[in-house]
Amino acid sequence: MPVDLQRRRFVLAGGAALAGGSLGLSLRQLVWAEAAGADVLPPPGPAPVYQGFEDLYRAQWTWDSVVKSTHIVNCWYQRGCAWDVFVKDGIVWREEQSGVYEPTDPAVPDYNPRGCQKGGCYSQRMYDEGRIRYPIKRVGARGEGRWQRVSWEEGLREVADRIIDALVEDGPGSVVWDGGTASSGGGHGTGVFRGAHVLDTPLLDVNSDVGDHHPGAQATVGKISFSGSMDDFFYSDLILIWGGNPVFTQIPNAHFLNEARYNGAHIVTIAPDYSASAVHADEWIPVSVGTDAALALGMCRIILDEGLEDRAFIAEQTDLPLLVRTDTGLFLRASDLEEGGADDRFHVWDTGSDSLRRCDHRSLVLDRVQPALEGEYTVATPGGEVTVTPVFALLKRHLADYDAARVQAITGVGARTLAALARRIATAKAAAMVTQSNFSKFYHGLEMERCQILLMTLCGQIGRKGSGIVGFPALSIAGHETIAVSDGGFSPQIGALLLQIKNTPRALQWKMAGHTDEMIVYELAREAYRSGAHLPSNLYWYRFGLGSLLGSSARWDPTMQRELDAFLQEAYAKGWQIEPPTSRQRVFLEVGGNILRRTRGYNRLYETFVQELDLLVTLDWRMSNTALHSDYVFPAAGWYEKDDITWATPLAPYAHIVSQAVPPLGESKSDWAFVALLLKTIQQRAIERGIRDFVDRAGKSRRLDEVFDEFGFHGRYDEHSDQQLLTDILEMTTNLGGIGWEELKRKGFARYTGLDISLINTANATDIAPDATITANTWHTEKKLPWPTLTRRIQFYIDHPFFMEQGEQLPTHKDSPAIGGDHPLRMTGGHTRWSIHASWRDHPNLLRLQRGEPTIFINSDDARQRGIADGDLVRVFNDIDSFETRAMILSGLRPGQLMQHHAWEPYQYRDGKSYAAVTASPINPLQLAGGYFHLQPLPLAATPGPSDRDTRVEVERVEGA
Amino acid sequence: MSEASLTGREVNGGIVKPKRQLAMVFDLNKCLGCHTCAIACKTQWTSREGMEGQWWAVVNTMPGQGTPRGWEQMGGGFDAAGEARPGLIPVREEHGEAWQFNHAQMFFGGEGKHSHLQPVTARERPPAWGPNWDEDQGDGTYPNSWHFYLPRICNHCTHPACLEACPRGAIYKREQDGIVLIDETRCRGYRMCMEACPYKRIYFNHVRQIGQKCIFCFPRVEAGVAPACARQCPGRLRFVGYLDDEAGPIHQLVHRFRVALPLHEEYGTQPNVYYVPPLSPPRIDADGNAIEGSRRIPTEYLRSLFGAGVDEALATLEREMAHRRAGGKSELLDTLIVYRWPEGMFPDFPNGPADVPGGFHAR
Repeated sequence: MPVDLQRRRFVLAGGAALAGGSLGLSLRQLVWAEAAGADVLPPPGPAPVYQGFEDLYRAQWTWDSVVKSTHIVNCWYQRGCAWDVFVKDGIVWREEQSGVYEPTDPAVPDYNPRGCQKGGCYSQRMYDEGRIRYPIKRVGARGEGRWQRVSWEEGLREVADRIIDALVEDGPGSVVWDGGTASSGGGHGTGVFRGAHVLDTPLLDVNSDVGDHHPGAQATVGKISFSGSMDDFFYSDLILIWGGNPVFTQIPNAHFLNEARYNGAHIVTIAPDYSASAVHADEWIPVSVGTDAALALGMCRIILDEGLEDRAFIAEQTDLPLLVRTDTGLFLRASDLEEGGADDRFHVWDTGSDSLRRCDHRSLVLDRVQPALEGEYTVATPGGEVTVTPVFALLKRHLADYDAARVQAITGVGARTLAALARRIATAKAAAMVTQSNFSKFYHGLEMERCQILLMTLCGQIGRKGSGIVGFPALSIAGHETIAVSDGGFSPQIGALLLQIKNTPRALQWKMAGHTDEMIVYELAREAYRSGAHLPSNLYWYRFGLGSLLGSSARWDPTMQRELDAFLQEAYAKGWQIEPPTSRQRVFLEVGGNILRRTRGYNRLYETFVQELDLLVTLDWRMSNTALHSDYVFPAAGWYEKDDITWATPLAPYAHIVSQAVPPLGESKSDWAFVALLLKTIQQRAIERGIRDFVDRAGKSRRLDEVFDEFGFHGRYDEHSDQQLLTDILEMTTNLGGIGWEELKRKGFARYTGLDISLINTANATDIAPDATITANTWHTEKKLPWPTLTRRIQFYIDHPFFMEQGEQLPTHKDSPAIGGDHPLRMTGGHTRWSIHASWRDHPNLLRLQRGEPTIFINSDDARQRGIADGDLVRVFNDIDSFETRAMILSGLRPGQLMQHHAWEPYQYRDGKSYAAVTASPINPLQLAGGYFHLQPLPLAATPGPSDRDTRVEVERVEGA
Repeated sequence: MSEASLTGREVNGGIVKPKRQLAMVFDLNKCLGCHTCAIACKTQWTSREGMEGQWWAVVNTMPGQGTPRGWEQMGGGFDAAGEARPGLIPVREEHGEAWQFNHAQMFFGGEGKHSHLQPVTARERPPAWGPNWDEDQGDGTYPNSWHFYLPRICNHCTHPACLEACPRGAIYKREQDGIVLIDETRCRGYRMCMEACPYKRIYFNHVRQIGQKCIFCFPRVEAGVAPACARQCPGRLRFVGYLDDEAGPIHQLVHRFRVALPLHEEYGTQPNVYYVPPLSPPRIDADGNAIEGSRRIPTEYLRSLFGAGVDEALATLEREMAHRRAGGKSELLDTLIVYRWPEGMFPDFPNGPADVPGGFHAR
């Protein structure tokens, strides 16, 4: 029922009420019940008596219209909540969760109501003092906050001119975009991607930039974006919260964990600190910072010692039966056995026939083969006999190092607890792991993830209802992505078809070679990556401003035999990693992120990267630190002021929209409109300046005076086309049940009906049924489709030269290097409950529920030893730098640990220096590996990430503060 | 409502009860400490002038000083003989005031490099307390540290000390649902209610010079919509209903299963918010092993909050959970799980505000 109709009927009834006193009131309710539909119950109890003081409050609870919306911000694991936005007198009064998700599986709790306190106050955020209302141009020193208000035309004209200069003089590699973490599936994402594509200007790959790239998952299962649904945990009888703090970072999801516990699941939280997620656990296992790999390996050893491993699962799904040459330490490949043999075909020893068997790379079905897991075998090769042994045997030998006593010495976990947990995991009907993106950010995080996967895999706890691990959860509308890159001379639909035709011969070739659809998607993504559409961020920062920090690995890591730069040069020379542009960086377009907040060592960029730019341009609705330091800031429309659609995750498998409840505040515009106007202005200025062409990065000439025509499909889209674009996008979308934009806007969300084929979706490798929870990776465990790794199995043995050089062929624990110097405290991090990145970090009401300014957490003993009292101003320092903040003393923090919640803006600190100033974040050379089927750069993964966790620091009280 | 209403007052040694009483049960084993309740209430009711520092719904980390600071030591309520206990009136600093920030100067006033974004109190000092100042700080010695979250609102007591204390008769308890309200048109700001309330859930509006507190979202309740703090709670832990509804979750949890207990019953006001007490992970010995069967939250502490009934409530929860793990059925756990929202949480309040015409209460 449209709201205006409801209102009209109500007004009629209201007239009756005036005439009829109490009779009128009951009439009014009658009419309302009729108008609102039969499933709405009449109010309980007697009708309100409309007189006196109570009416003052009743009068506040009125509104003019309701619109469906959400918040396009990357809250990731918890993202996707349906909200009703209430408008009164032309402004947004408040928002409240719709709470209308239909039950899926009748035996499990439903998804209602979702939401969190951040989403619940965006109506205040959008009108607060930090909101950017007009285009502004810097007139003071950078970062000072002195601006001149300019018109959109004036501002865009200068930005367009500088971009044209850069394109013509230094080429498209000198203009870089950051789409940030706020990217959407509609106008924002499509606009930015298409704008960058048309200009051949690269985008930063934000995912490895921020350390959400899950290098251990990539190395082990060949992909990162897989996850089940949150309600699938209701089928678990053991849940490990390990490497995340879902009570902080999955507020709308967390009820499923507590409800699973009431349903009989045993919840174990493993973390150094007594986190909010430990509060409701059945067991909390405190572990020393950075030792999670050793903990997992200790349990793996117990499982093998006690014979608790799931041998059938291991034999079928993993590389543990694959044979390795004892002489070289390399897998025994077909190329070892015969002239011209493939180097990606592998072997097992069949105990039935007592002979060597080549693995089927097209299927995991073993047929009648019974692979040996132990023993040594002799194989004849053209070069003579070689001895081979299964990976499992090597693993078993390797695990001998992880006896309970050593593991306790490393991790602090007692032998009894270790063994009890190992047995629980091995014997659980369905064990699931709530792991988030914390380990990605450790220097040896790759190993922590590998070891966790090994533990779960040995027990067969993968790809069954209620079991499994969460990788990088992601799910998006699919089928429309080509709009960003297709030829503007055709309609988006025809463009998609043309691209499909173009890719078909290669896809067929791969298919013939035994690739699954999943692998083909990754091959195409790798190709796009190689073409330079995305820049691996940390390699970009290594080149443009942070080389001395990111490249300092050998200074801290005692296991490195050579400098990181040597690894890097080798990786570039062999084409293992993509080299960033060499041209001077001239224009940087920040259109959804905040590089001068999120980049570890960001403060170095003021003097290097930013200094050399012609222009730093930001589009945002709030004043980020990047905006504050920009030359131009353009006002973006708020989330209740525009139409768009967001991506999701399988955890909450619903596509949500934002829709326009009120017009954009001040002169703000949608993200789509910004990109469209920028391209339009570039075209116009190119014509006015008589510049016809520019040369793209492939050396081909492109028309500059037609970039907007190309961008807008020759008149199909302009800056006002948000709705048309969304209509087209949904027409092309294949995994949302055919819902159109208008219907979606009315409902606010729709449940996904499938994955279709797309980079992030396909990795979930599962079907989505309307009445069932989602379990990831069942295509592998049930349909026996190969895993997208080199060996086509869950791969624990990596015989890549860099892994072998570092002695990490098998999952291994390595002590964290003393990054930052010889200091006693280990600074860890994590996301707070109080903000999504920096988007709510400076919101007055949320700050009032904290301490109003940045804090760092310290254990009571560590504080006492240093004479630090709760609330004291302290200086945190190491060999890299220092910063000042307020100390907060937590009894639940591990002694020696210092916990820094992320995303405070640097301008919230004295001297503008935040915790990111002390992080060196060196690159681990393993993350430069490439040329190894599943270890090759592609968007989201297989490029180097940061390593800020476990940075060594010391802290002291600031005297006189 | 009538000035002469006796509902909620002691008359001849008995308390005059309303026809029905609305109540809430908060399941502390589901509370995330996320403060969505606090923000839901803030955006709904307390953004107007003089209300900036009011948080009708708060979440306190326990053990802790809470909101206002040290409220458990501020007195009020009634003693065992039913006599009013003396109390303190919390001041603005104890509640935690609405600090101001220098966004405008930093972002647009040229101060960006010369200062930093910071809070300042009305006395132009850095803040020393706030409504959630001791969040997650807890107690105990690592690794046997412990804390939990305690959401609090006005208890809409059966015998409200605030009501009895108001010399203006400005506080009343609604006949139809037992909601306790301060009539802002009668209130003259004497603050005796703030002194009398043992839970210290009444704020003083320094601009309008009146007392203000949680209204149990009565305009929503009248439209069949649950209070904002409850309906917006993503942890699904705030059950709402009438105490006399024997089929409803409130009656079941309070009276049938006896796992939901009042907070500080000894304060004597007969509160109508009940709590399912928190379980906690076992303590850890010197060798880093869990001590099976131990609770890290001292039961004695829980007794001090929820009374002697806490032992039985915890034992019931532990017994039912063990039974469930062994494959058994449990009506209690099914009630706490809440398979279907909103029916399972607030069966009498199934509407969302968007189901209600925006002019439902317009006159």
